[in-house]
Amino acid sequence: MTTTTTEYNKFLPEGIPDSQMPFWESLKAKAVKVQRCDNCGAYLYIPKDICNKCYSTELTWTPISGHGEVYTYTVVRRAPTPAYQEEAPYVLAHVTMDEGFRMIAKLQGIAPEDVRIGLPVQITYEDVTPEWTLFDFEPAPAATG
Amino acid sequence: MAKLSDAAIVGVYQTKQGILTDKTQPSVWWECVRGACEDAGLSVGDIDGLINDGPDGVGLRDMMPAPGLAELLGHPIRFHARNIVGAASSAAGVNLAAYAVAHGLAEVVVVASAVAGQARGYGSANRDEAVATMAKLSGPYEYVYGTTRVSDYATLAMRHQYEYGTTAEQLAEIAVAQRHGATLHPLSVNGYRGDITVEDVVTSRMIADPLHLLDCCAINQGGGAYIVTSADHARSLGRHAPIAVLGYGEGHNHIDPNAIESLTEFQGAKVSADTAFGMAGVSRDDINVAGISDHFTIGVLLGLEDAGFCKKGEGGSFVDKGGTSLTGRLPTNTSGGFLSFSHAGMCGIFTLIELVDQLRGDAGERQVKDASLAFFNGVGGAQQAHAAAILGRV
Repeated sequence: MTTTTTEYNKFLPEGIPDSQMPFWESLKAKAVKVQRCDNCGAYLYIPKDICNKCYSTELTWTPISGHGEVYTYTVVRRAPTPAYQEEAPYVLAHVTMDEGFRMIAKLQGIAPEDVRIGLPVQITYEDVTPEWTLFDFEPAPAATG
Repeated sequence: MAKLSDAAIVGVYQTKQGILTDKTQPSVWWECVRGACEDAGLSVGDIDGLINDGPDGVGLRDMMPAPGLAELLGHPIRFHARNIVGAASSAAGVNLAAYAVAHGLAEVVVVASAVAGQARGYGSANRDEAVATMAKLSGPYEYVYGTTRVSDYATLAMRHQYEYGTTAEQLAEIAVAQRHGATLHPLSVNGYRGDITVEDVVTSRMIADPLHLLDCCAINQGGGAYIVTSADHARSLGRHAPIAVLGYGEGHNHIDPNAIESLTEFQGAKVSADTAFGMAGVSRDDINVAGISDHFTIGVLLGLEDAGFCKKGEGGSFVDKGGTSLTGRLPTNTSGGFLSFSHAGMCGIFTLIELVDQLRGDAGERQVKDASLAFFNGVGGAQQAHAAAILGRV
């Protein structure tokens, strides 16, 4: 596992309730899990207490493929803090996952001007501190059909 | 049965918008409230109802602003409520104020928003501090990636461009039209900068693609207030044509942008507008002037579409060639909006006050000819919460 050697000075997750920690633990294990409704099968992200499709509270942390395609994106050139500004310009993408729900994260490994809506991407992991791992997206080979 | 239109906006006031670090927040609140009372022909001692914040707020004073105001006025405040539609809260509070008056719960209700002094966080005059504070509003699942309020709207604009072919030049038309209005309003924050062109907007620095600097609202301080009383009382005061809420609606939509189907079409905005138009019994074609939340140019385009002024996806051609300008098909944000008039605090109040000025016929060089019916849209967050109102003379 890689750890940062200098102090991480970007925003870390704060105020995460215990009920949502399985998501963050799954990132640390580099095997992302998302809540899935036992009743209707919908995937829920970000974590919720109740299914927003059928209102069931029976939700199970479920592995996902980690693959999807860009639904929309932006290139941030004016970042919120100096630490983020050092990385600018960076791409933020809303991605429609193969399972049919969306996730937002940074899209790495591609020049901002090459990003397109519809671009196939996959999840990658970044250990930002010993305690916290984030997921990002990176370009993926298009699914064969 | 009591109707919202039994009440009316009878007084309005706005400070010069800009940097008010040499004043205190309570002093600006009082300047606004006193000014709105004077505009109405009332005294601050007539106030017996309050919506949202009072003059100051730390601890209990923040949690319970009405007792604090009552103590200062020397008589009980008979009605207080909060309205939560983000930056539109103070404007959307017109619904609660009109409700209170129409039902006899209060006679003179004040709604004010003031940001001044050495305010921290959102209200800071320091751009870096304001941007960093607002960045964390989205919650940890987004802010860890360095999202900003600009990036929120940029993703909506990018998708709208993809689905409907909306162009940067079309978005720029909105900023150009609004800047011109601001040059005609002496209290605006950006009017002194003068008119801008589409070319100026699309060649200004990119902040978050596809939104340029001139697609973005100002970051500034300032204040505004309005007074609501009964329409009969307003008429007896005789200062101005009473301006009533003929229809009102809200539509709270989502908090997590991942959790909704579309990021180009917002059901909450549609519901709020449909409710307001239904209550008022008027149609979109009857509206002469509009105020639509414009944290970024794309907000106006989405607001026009979702409120039904054009079909989804046709916002680009609607705003093209000065469609929202003073002489366009629907003059919108005629004092400059958040882009060029003010983005201070609960800035929807400035959108609302401009519509009052237009309906009174007091808008000077910005006056829209024969303005008799206005549409207001207020947005909280990135199209997350919506309020809509139809305003007219009664």
